[in-house]
Amino acid sequence: MNPRRVAITGLGLVSPYGGDLTDFFVRLAAGESAVRHLLTDDRPRPLSIPFVDCPAFDPDAALGKPLASMMDRFAQLGMAAAFAAWDDAGLPRAAGGESRDDWGVSWGTALGGTLAYEKGYRDLWQKGRDRLSPLTVVLGMNNAANAHISIQLGLGGVSMSHTVACASSAIAIGEAFRRVRSGEAPVMLTGGSDAPQAYGVARAWEALRVMAPADADSAASACRPFAADRRGLVLGEGGAALVLEDWDRAVARGARIHGEIVGYGTNCDHSHLVRPETAGQVRALHATLADAGLAAGDIDYINAHGTATAEGDPVEIAALKSVFGERATRLPVSATKSMHGHLLGAAGAIEAIATVLALREQAIPPTAQLNPDNLDPACSGIDHVFSSRHGVPLRAALSNSFAFGGSNAVLAFRAVAQ
Amino acid sequence: MKSIELIRNFLNARQGIEPAKIVPEALLADLGVDSLMMLELIFEFEDKFDLKLPEDLKSPQTVGEMVTLMDGLIASQKS
Repeated sequence: MNPRRVAITGLGLVSPYGGDLTDFFVRLAAGESAVRHLLTDDRPRPLSIPFVDCPAFDPDAALGKPLASMMDRFAQLGMAAAFAAWDDAGLPRAAGGESRDDWGVSWGTALGGTLAYEKGYRDLWQKGRDRLSPLTVVLGMNNAANAHISIQLGLGGVSMSHTVACASSAIAIGEAFRRVRSGEAPVMLTGGSDAPQAYGVARAWEALRVMAPADADSAASACRPFAADRRGLVLGEGGAALVLEDWDRAVARGARIHGEIVGYGTNCDHSHLVRPETAGQVRALHATLADAGLAAGDIDYINAHGTATAEGDPVEIAALKSVFGERATRLPVSATKSMHGHLLGAAGAIEAIATVLALREQAIPPTAQLNPDNLDPACSGIDHVFSSRHGVPLRAALSNSFAFGGSNAVLAFRAVAQ
Repeated sequence: MKSIELIRNFLNARQGIEPAKIVPEALLADLGVDSLMMLELIFEFEDKFDLKLPEDLKSPQTVGEMVTLMDGLIASQKS
């Protein structure tokens, strides 16, 4: 079958700012940080970390109580984002007359229902209970989000979850893209969700010494990608979803097309568990450009992986300089993690949305907390977006996800005239 | 708390069903109780009354059968 063009017809998320998709991008473009200070009542030691949460998210209100009570928070965030994207695509939640037997879900999550298992440990070890809720398995399983999405939207095709650390949802989106492009699925719901505030998870990240420290006053500026004084990443919870649709089908039904997904490349550094490597990232970038049929000169914006770790940021910049050569100095790059944090398994999805909206709105969100004075010289050599840019002609853009384990995933998008 | 109250409270909290609709002749399936929710309901019952339903339990079909089962177990525990 001839390759199909793939339209992005739906975008949806649970925004850490509490508003809708439009509000999310307005705030992102304004450089507004959603990072707050998280202080828990855990004993003997509470969590006291910078974090991006979604306090306005009410699962019972968003999903209805019967459905919400069947889900762990990661699945609630995922289901809510999926509903939002589906509604945005103008697709009815019930199938009606059409068959959805080959429509599918490809979801990313790094942690799945970790909170359900953590509750189990608390109940058994702290509270002295002798057994767990019979729902624990179905709350905790990594494919809970995609399973619920398939059921709620009546999708009878593939329903799968991808767990690839920080590249989980970038890979989920890429795999969904391939299925639509090949003609295997006319519609794929894709994205990711995670809730990394599990006590054991947050503590584990602290132990790795890659998490930025902060108190209530400094939390908003805790995540400083590419800055000389960066101290590490900031975790966040969230869910983000995209509807990928066969181009002709989308046009035929008069759907709004936010953008086009045109390329995907994924590989492995195959060298170290946590130290990223320029060579692997360069290969992933080249593979994506080739897959998209784009030249380096066609790219007008890159949404960087940019986690604000000491080691990761310069490696990514070196990879970009290698691929884009002398044009790198004019290549706009920003790390929106500086504002929405690192959503682990949802990171690739929320950043894909930011990238698609940048193309659609012809506006580039900045790397918050970064300015010419605090830029790390080791991260220089590309066009850092210090403050938002509006009305810039953007033709195509990339979104990078470079995960622990050495897995790299890059997605390529093209602007569509609105 | 009697077992009918427990069932009513559970289904009201989980499914938003009016307690008045939870009558002995109502089919559990019609109230949205599937196999998973049945496990939850049994779990809740065992928790509240500190009892254990037999492993080889034959799933009750109606609210009335569930009540009979639970009440019988409570009574046998007391004697």
